Amino acid sequence: MAQSHMAASNPAFDAVTLEILWRRIISAADEAAKALRRTSFSTLVNESNDFACVLTDARGQSLAQNTESIPSFIGTLPVTVKEFIRQIGLDNMRPGDVLVTNTPWIATGHLNDISVAKPIFRHGRIVAFAASTAHAPDIGGKVRSVEPREVFEEGFHIPIMKLLNEGKPDATLIKLLRAAVRTPDQTEGDLWAQITGLDLLERRVGELMDEYGLDDLDAFAEEILGRCERAMRSAIGKLPSGTYPFEFNTDGLDQPFTYKIAVTVAGERIGIDYAGTSPQVDRAINCTMTYTFAMTAYALKCALLPNLPNNEGIFRCIEVTAPAGTIVNPRFPASVGGRMATGHYLPFAVLGALAPMMPDRVMAASGSPLWSIIETGVRRDGKTYANVLFFNGGMGATAGNDGQNAYAWPSNVSNVPVELIERNSGLFIARKELRRGSGGAGRFRGGLGQEIAFEVISTTPVGIIFMAERCRFPAPGMDGGAPGAPGEVEVDGVPVDYRSNMVLKPGQRILLRTPGGGGMGPSSERDPQALERDRREEYV
Amino acid sequence: MVAPRYGIGIDVGGTFTDIVVYDAGTGRQASHKELTTHEDPARGVLSGIDRLLRENAVAPAQIGRLVHATTLFSNALIERKGALTGLITSCGFRDTLEIGRERKYELYDLGIIKPAPLVPRHLRVGVAERITADGSVRVPLDAEALLQAAARLRAQGVTSLAIAFLHSYANPCHEREAMALLLQHCPGLTLSASIEVAPEIREYERVSTTTINAYIKPLAERYIASLADQLGARGIGAPLFLMLSNGGLTNVDEAKRTPVQLLESGPAAGALVAAHLGARDGGSQLLAFDMGGTTAKLAIVEEGKPTVAYSFEAAREKRFVEGSGLPVRISTLELIEIGAGGGSIARLDDIGLLKVGPTSAGSEPGPAAYARGGREPTVTDADFLLGYLNPAYFVGGSMAIDLAAAQAVMRPLAERAGLSVTDLAWGIHDVVNENMASAARVHIAERGKDPRRYALLSTGGAGPVHAYYVAKKLGLRRLIAPRGAGVASALGLLIAPARVDRVATVARDMRAIDWAELEATFARLEADARSVLAATLPNGSAPDMRRLADIRYVGQACELVVPLPPGPYTPLSHDALLAAFEASYVAAFTRTPPATEVEIINVRVCASLAIAGGAPRVQAAKSAAIRAVKGSRMVYFPEFRAFRPTVVYDRYALEPGQIFDGPAIVEERESTLLVGPGGSLEVAASGNIIVTIG
Repeated sequence: MAQSHMAASNPAFDAVTLEILWRRIISAADEAAKALRRTSFSTLVNESNDFACVLTDARGQSLAQNTESIPSFIGTLPVTVKEFIRQIGLDNMRPGDVLVTNTPWIATGHLNDISVAKPIFRHGRIVAFAASTAHAPDIGGKVRSVEPREVFEEGFHIPIMKLLNEGKPDATLIKLLRAAVRTPDQTEGDLWAQITGLDLLERRVGELMDEYGLDDLDAFAEEILGRCERAMRSAIGKLPSGTYPFEFNTDGLDQPFTYKIAVTVAGERIGIDYAGTSPQVDRAINCTMTYTFAMTAYALKCALLPNLPNNEGIFRCIEVTAPAGTIVNPRFPASVGGRMATGHYLPFAVLGALAPMMPDRVMAASGSPLWSIIETGVRRDGKTYANVLFFNGGMGATAGNDGQNAYAWPSNVSNVPVELIERNSGLFIARKELRRGSGGAGRFRGGLGQEIAFEVISTTPVGIIFMAERCRFPAPGMDGGAPGAPGEVEVDGVPVDYRSNMVLKPGQRILLRTPGGGGMGPSSERDPQALERDRREEYV
Repeated sequence: MVAPRYGIGIDVGGTFTDIVVYDAGTGRQASHKELTTHEDPARGVLSGIDRLLRENAVAPAQIGRLVHATTLFSNALIERKGALTGLITSCGFRDTLEIGRERKYELYDLGIIKPAPLVPRHLRVGVAERITADGSVRVPLDAEALLQAAARLRAQGVTSLAIAFLHSYANPCHEREAMALLLQHCPGLTLSASIEVAPEIREYERVSTTTINAYIKPLAERYIASLADQLGARGIGAPLFLMLSNGGLTNVDEAKRTPVQLLESGPAAGALVAAHLGARDGGSQLLAFDMGGTTAKLAIVEEGKPTVAYSFEAAREKRFVEGSGLPVRISTLELIEIGAGGGSIARLDDIGLLKVGPTSAGSEPGPAAYARGGREPTVTDADFLLGYLNPAYFVGGSMAIDLAAAQAVMRPLAERAGLSVTDLAWGIHDVVNENMASAARVHIAERGKDPRRYALLSTGGAGPVHAYYVAKKLGLRRLIAPRGAGVASALGLLIAPARVDRVATVARDMRAIDWAELEATFARLEADARSVLAATLPNGSAPDMRRLADIRYVGQACELVVPLPPGPYTPLSHDALLAAFEASYVAAFTRTPPATEVEIINVRVCASLAIAGGAPRVQAAKSAAIRAVKGSRMVYFPEFRAFRPTVVYDRYALEPGQIFDGPAIVEERESTLLVGPGGSLEVAASGNIIVTIG
């Protein structure tokens, strides 16, 4: 551990004061998150954890987020808050204001996530922002699929504006929003759940500043961010300087996509460039720069300093670039609803490029991006419904462990229990099991994917939209490890084009096989006991 | 014939078995500590009882009741020392137990390990059968396949079997049928069906709870039966009650049937004692911190009762990381475990922040000051250097303390942090306090409450030293410090009522409820609870029956457990139930959402019945002839940023009614109470010290 970043650069903040303030801020974010999650209507928020609460300083630099928040929003929210500041201006913000947007290019990459922020005032001056992002129960437009060609088809678009004006809701905005979405009560309800969280965060920060007699958070922010930045710099500085390229292909549309990355280590800075990656497409799997940045930063932190607090200090040493007009930096008005189908490949791109420098601290490819099914239909009582179901593949192996079976990575979205799905669905789930033999062989084996079999049991047709990846190009292994098994999507026993929306009749059957993770190291070096266990447990 | 006026409390822990005998006639109590005999835990219990009876001249016939709590089953689970267990489940779902919820408990750890399932894949078998969400049978149970599967598992050495079919909460017929067949064809195999253990919707959580039950059941059956038999053989005819995780007592048969309910019985007893001790001084709203060598446990007491949770995690992969354990769906007294104890180790993290815990030096090697080879600075070392603890009177002076060793391990860390040794020591004290306060804050927020309405009750060897500044951080006004801060939880056993909690899944929109059916469900649960209570207390009076329900707005995933008005229910009850839900919702979240559709997921019955013999009085403080002031020493206070001469009081010499001001130190054998300047202390008639925070 380097001595340089140990001592306080500001004598007011020693190791103890900083730790206490830091814990307090995290526990405030955790409190806000608990309140948000418990009052949310979105299954994606409350069962699948698709949300985050973040505290930024007055400049929009992220200080801390709730412990369980997902990596993407940690990376995107600060960008959004900075954009609030730029477009609205600090001078035009008032106590009680809540700012809102879901613009993909300045928020999380698709319209479905609504981002809000509340300026926190002290002595008439903004000292911080409480911010949160949550996946809305519905945002209108075409039910999320890859089919939209432009963002205009994807739902209700909220440019940067004030949702609350000095505590007073913008009735026009709410009225328009309610008219545009399929679930007005739930979508509006979730906005209030987010505001509840912001209020709590605001109150706690106020109490903390009272207790410590702070007039602003600038010095504290600079100290903590500076320390994180120095730690990150020192970790980067230990890597050999140079440029490390890596590339791979993925399923794409008619033609495969190419992902090209070049990681350049220059002293204590690291640059990631995606030049050479496929051009943007007129399908909704373009990934905006905010999400590209978030996924890239996430992988760097996993590999370099997994225990470091995640904040702006880390981001400062990272420069992410991608040519405009690519799938990882599309131009407006590209369609972006399924951006995770692209963005979830990026952490592996980063780890693949880092592997030659640090083979012991990376991971073979996982059976991600996250899979999902969106099911729409009409209930017996005539009401329409939409269910979103998520399925994870296997994680990649590392230099010390087998990949975990059916586990979320890089996102952190959990499944919805079968018993809850079947209560409100036209689908019957006949099977949900680990997929034998799907982990890539290696010294350490890739994690297993899973196999899920459905049957349509509703009396009316059911609309099905698949989001599936790694069906043509499996998750590669590393260091001689074998790739995981590719994913498979079948209807009535026949492989189907999972990029097209389908309408299925009662009695039709769907089979999903999520991809396995890649192996690490040659399989000839596998521990015989581990192999014996794999056979006994029918993992292979 | 002498009246059976003695109660015996038995607490079998991982290291010690504590036994207390209490005389309801005189209020006298005597206790004994025995090393836990792991190969046969009943042996240690019995030898302790024999000894206590002999020493106190109590005849077996004079014993009115025995109450038992233990962490044995929890430890067996953590150490994975349970029975070789098999799982029979719905065909196509044998991996539910291994797949879990697919969510990582740590975001950035690429080498993350899921908690391993208790039943390995080769011992999990799917059998053809299927119930649908509305409870109808889609595929009948294949009895032949079931018996073949059981035979195959048996041949592989399985002695305990869990049975969990999909949607069994909606229709238990297949699990019932399977149980009947297995009972008939597989005698000697221990069985656990999910409908008898955790009849709740959500298959992973239900199967997890059921396999845990199966895993510890043979051990529990053997131990409880052997204990009951041997007590009988000694002529002790009094009933043996077993404490449940929810702080209530049950009978031997119910305990043997679903031992998973006993997992947290040890800590539950501790929480009950805390509530009891606090109640005597009007502390009906308490944050009860029990801080020991490795962890602090926080219980929240509302209206004099520890709060109850309906799920928790056992055997975590990473002890203090939420989500890394095995889910258990039972009712349990809510205990938040924090990695903060006297042995918690201090270090600087990657960016130079001072972290304290959760790694602990434990008792071996222990803090550096114990001079047993501890080389890392701990909380206890800091407390010595700050003058909070007395090196000459640690554990009543029975342990030699090496202050120089504490100094020596602090110095390098202080240098690296750019702090003086004293500032570092205070920093360690402050950070560990913050860890406890943070955990309390987040937890209280989850309940939608304000921390300031509570008093802090502190127990455990390290509790009273830290309580004052924890209370200050939380903005509390009052701190209650009972005597003998390490009060054996064995005493808490004698306070507990008999209790039965039952649950059933309804999963209906409130407007579509069949009220006759709902009433019948409640009536069934109540009848079941009554019969267990009747078996526990054959001559008991009418139990206290409460109805609760897990309710949410349609679309939400988390239910709120809502206390309901009493039944019976009719279609006219709709508004009252809705109002009860909305009131609970507003209390927790300040406002109700625009949505209006409400659904009831689970209904619950909580039945309890106080046990005659009453709660034990704690012995009045013996007044001693010596003066209460023991002396004075230099003690560090953050208010002065300096050491100040501070009066040290002898707890054993304090008299009820005495009032004095902080700063002060009050010493007793097991612990030391620290009160800062501005605080004031009053000795209550109960023997508690009530501290008003400055």
